Amino acid sequence: MIKHILTLVWNKKRTNMLMMLEIFLAFLILFSVFTFAINFLRMYQSPLGFATRDALLVQLMLDDGMDSVAHLEMRQQLRREVELLPAVQTTSFNSGVTMFSGSMWTTSNNDNGFLLETCIYHADEQFAAAASLNLVEGRWPEVSDQNNKYAPVVINRRLREAYFGDKPVIDSIIMLDGEKKIMGVVDHFKYQGEFETERPLTFFFLPLHDENLRTLYVRLKPNTPPEFEEELNKTIARVTRRRDFVISSVDADRVRQSRQVWVPMITALLICGFLILNVALGLFGVLYYNISKRRAEIGLRRALGATQGAITRQFTAEVMVVAAAGMLLAILIAVQFPLLAVFDVPAENFYWSILATTILILLVVLICAFSPSRQAAAVQPAVALHEE
Amino acid sequence: MIKLENINKVYRTDTIETLALNTINLAVAQGEFLSIMGPSGCGKSTLLNIMGLIDEPSGGRIEVAGQVVANYNSKATARFRNQHLGFIFQSFHLINDLSVIDNVELPLLYRQVSGKERRQLAQVALEQVGLKNRMSHFPGQLSGGQKQRVAIARSIVGRPNIILADEPTGNLDSVMGNEIMDILLRLNAEDGATIVMVTHDESMARRTHRLVRLFDGSQVQ
Repeated sequence: MIKHILTLVWNKKRTNMLMMLEIFLAFLILFSVFTFAINFLRMYQSPLGFATRDALLVQLMLDDGMDSVAHLEMRQQLRREVELLPAVQTTSFNSGVTMFSGSMWTTSNNDNGFLLETCIYHADEQFAAAASLNLVEGRWPEVSDQNNKYAPVVINRRLREAYFGDKPVIDSIIMLDGEKKIMGVVDHFKYQGEFETERPLTFFFLPLHDENLRTLYVRLKPNTPPEFEEELNKTIARVTRRRDFVISSVDADRVRQSRQVWVPMITALLICGFLILNVALGLFGVLYYNISKRRAEIGLRRALGATQGAITRQFTAEVMVVAAAGMLLAILIAVQFPLLAVFDVPAENFYWSILATTILILLVVLICAFSPSRQAAAVQPAVALHEE
Repeated sequence: MIKLENINKVYRTDTIETLALNTINLAVAQGEFLSIMGPSGCGKSTLLNIMGLIDEPSGGRIEVAGQVVANYNSKATARFRNQHLGFIFQSFHLINDLSVIDNVELPLLYRQVSGKERRQLAQVALEQVGLKNRMSHFPGQLSGGQKQRVAIARSIVGRPNIILADEPTGNLDSVMGNEIMDILLRLNAEDGATIVMVTHDESMARRTHRLVRLFDGSQVQ
C-alpha cells in the first residue's frame, strides 16, 4: 500500500506541487519564528543569578569637582545612613554599568596566551551579599584584599568554562588590565537581561573613593512597601545635597527590559498562529475539494473491497506524503543554519525548532486531511460510483 | 451462486417515496451468464448493486456464494466483495493517475498479497484480455474498448466467483462492444465465471444463457 500511495502521489505531482510549496514556505516561516522563540525562551530559562525583588538602584549624580576624599566620605556617610533605615538590609556601590542598564563594558587581550574576551562589572566588597550572588568556588573579596599584591577579581562560570575548562582557577593570576588574582566564581550573572546570552564576565573591585561608583544597589527587607522610596529619597538628597538622582526598582527594570523581547516574540507567535490557521483553512478547503472530486474513485475502491478505514488511511497518508516532501525540502534548508553556524544561536535550538515545526505541521496536516477523508470514506459505494 | 428473495428497494426523500425494486425473486446458478434488461430507470443497476453488496435493499434476503450477508458489518461486507465479486462498469471507472497495471492490481491491494505476486496476477489478467503490451500506459492513452478490457482484467484479477457487469458495452461502438462480449463469454465458458450483466442491447443479451427483464422495478420475465 505504501508503494501504491507513493505511486499515486508521484503521478499527481503537478496537482501536489502547490500544496508542497505551501507546506515548504509555511515550514520555513514557522521554523524562523520558532528558532527565535526557542532561543529566547531557553535564555529566559537560565537564571539571572542575582536578586531583583526587594532591590532598588539609585543612579547617583555627583559633583564633578569632588576629590577622592570627598567621594569616600560621601559614600561612607550615604551607606551608613541608608543602612540605618529600617527597611534596608544592605547596600552596595556599583559603577554606572549595572543590571538592565542597557550598557556593557567589555575588554579583550592576548596577554594570557589566548584571546580573552570578557565583560567587566565594577562593584564593591558588599555586592555578593547584597545581590545574593551564588558563589560556586572561592569567596567574594573583602576590603583588605584590595591591598594585596594582585588586585582581586571574581569571574562567572561562563568565563571559567570558556577559558579554563576543568583547571583550578582559584588564586590563579590572569592578565586583565594588569595582573589580577581570581578569588571566586559565581554561578550566573546575567545582568544585561533575562533574554540575553550570558557572556564571560569578570567582577572588578573599586574602592569607595573611586569616582566611578555612581550607582547604589539597595537591598530591602522582604515586602517593603513602595512608600519607602520617599524616605530613601530624602536621605539621599540630604547626604548628596542633590535632587537629580534616579531611584528605580530592579524588578521593574527587569520587567521593562524583558517586555522589549516578550512583545515582539508574542506578536511573531500570534502572526504564526494566524499563518497556521490560514494554512490549515486553505489546506482543509483544498483537501476537501480534492477528496470530493475523487468520490467516484472512493466508490470504486469501496466496491473493490476497501474498508472505510483503509480509504481514510490511504487519503490521509497521501496528504501526509505530500506534506512530508515539502517539509523534507524545507528541513534540508533549515539544517544548513546550525551546520554552517550562520547565526550566533546554539545549534540545538535550531534542531528543537525543526522538531517543533515538523510536529506542528504534521498535526495540522493530519487534522485537515483526516476529517474530509473520513467523511468521504463513509459514503455508500453505489452513491459515489453514480456521481461520476 | 446468487439468491434473491423478495428484494425491495425504496428511495425516500422528505416528500417522495420511489419504489425502485418490487419483490424481486431471482436465483443465479454457478457458471451461469445472466443478462438483465429493461428500460432506463427500471431498477436494473439498483438490482446489480444490491447483488454486488454495494447498495442495501429495503427488504428481502440475499445469499451470495452461499453466504447470507444481511448481518455483515461494513468491514466484513467489504472483505466479502473483495474475495467473491468482480465489477465492470459502463464508464470503466479507471483511476486516471494510475497506470493500466496499477489499476488492475487495485483489488489485490486490499488483500494480503505481496507486491510481486500482485504484479504477476495483474500481468496474467491483462494477458487474458489481450492488453499485456499496454501495461505501463495510462487510461488517458487508451481507447474506450481498451479501457473496458482493463476494467475486465481488474474484475478477474482476484479470481472472484461472480462478475457483475453494468452495461459493459454501453459506451462502446458495436465492434468494440462485441470484443468485450467475446471476452466475457470466454471467461464464462473457459473459467466458469458466473456473470450477471445489465444491458440495453438485445443482441448482447441474447448471447447470454438467460435473460431477465425488469419493468418499473418488477421482474416481468
